Amino acid sequence: MDWTEIIIDSLKQSDTTLIAYVPDISIDRVTSKIDDDPYFQLVPATREEEAIGIAVGAYATGRNSAVFMQSSGFGNSINAIASLCIPARTPIPIFMNMRGGSGEFNIAQVPMGRATRPILDELGLVHFTLDDEYNMDKIVNGAIKLCHANRQPVAICMTQLLHGGKLA
Amino acid sequence: MLRFDATKLVLTHAGNSPIVGNLGPTTDELWHAGHRDRNFYTYGNMGLCSSIALGMAVSTDEKVISLDGDGSLLMNLGAIATIGRERPRNLVVVVWDNEQWGQTGHQDSHTAKGTDLEQVAQSCSIPNTATVRDLESLDDVMQKAMTEDGPWFIVAKIEEQGYMPVSPIEPEMTLYRFRNSFSE
Repeated sequence: MDWTEIIIDSLKQSDTTLIAYVPDISIDRVTSKIDDDPYFQLVPATREEEAIGIAVGAYATGRNSAVFMQSSGFGNSINAIASLCIPARTPIPIFMNMRGGSGEFNIAQVPMGRATRPILDELGLVHFTLDDEYNMDKIVNGAIKLCHANRQPVAICMTQLLHGGKLA
Repeated sequence: MLRFDATKLVLTHAGNSPIVGNLGPTTDELWHAGHRDRNFYTYGNMGLCSSIALGMAVSTDEKVISLDGDGSLLMNLGAIATIGRERPRNLVVVVWDNEQWGQTGHQDSHTAKGTDLEQVAQSCSIPNTATVRDLESLDDVMQKAMTEDGPWFIVAKIEEQGYMPVSPIEPEMTLYRFRNSFSE
């Protein structure tokens, strides 16, 4: 399995059928497969905090959900995570393309990308960074398991080293 | 039309349907009007009330009611576009529109200055919309909304009123009670 198939397999193993997202070119290889797979319901949002709200609504009815976004969109969704997911204890895995790291071509993407993991730390949220496919199935499966055990969001941060990134 | 009277009226139509309450007075008055397991109260996340309801509506066949507010929805107008894109037949959005940010000092909101949320919903291809100004009209449209396919988007113009005591702030308990009600 490549990294896209590992993510899809982990979502299925955890009965995660509702995926809310804002498109991102670097992880489109995963979300387009999710879109083509009738196992999943993919809901495109206009903004990342909206995707968080949709995912929480699905979880509240007993359905497991996840969110896909870019690290810049994490900036758009901080209050949704802080004032809804954390106090209500909703286990939403957040799959995130990390901008601003090695290979970044756009200065405007660097500050939010660099700040993402420190903000997750300040919120007390667990995050994992994936630079390659080594042990990736164990990491992603484990991250989703931990997410549900702890009933808090977990971020799975995917760097350009993993997915190839967006070229200038 | 007072929001509390309108909230009690919505509850008479709701049966056991899930209701998401916007943060602040809407959640407080929903609690006072009739606390039930199927009330999903919110205490923060301004702007996300109808997005949460959308996530519920695409996950259950039951009717799902969002009790949103003009100030909150203006913060996340994209939610209306996403509802118009998904068009879940079981979603009923009710916007308590007092044309102000009541909790922050009664400043005029954009709906006092020309924004028509019903027209926004129509332009986002939400098929069933209404604007109501009294309890009788709300009663009529809720009757339709709970029995006919939606999504429905109902702007209910309300008068600002005094606030009720703050309801218990229990986000974790709210989620627990609400979610458990789907496994019974």
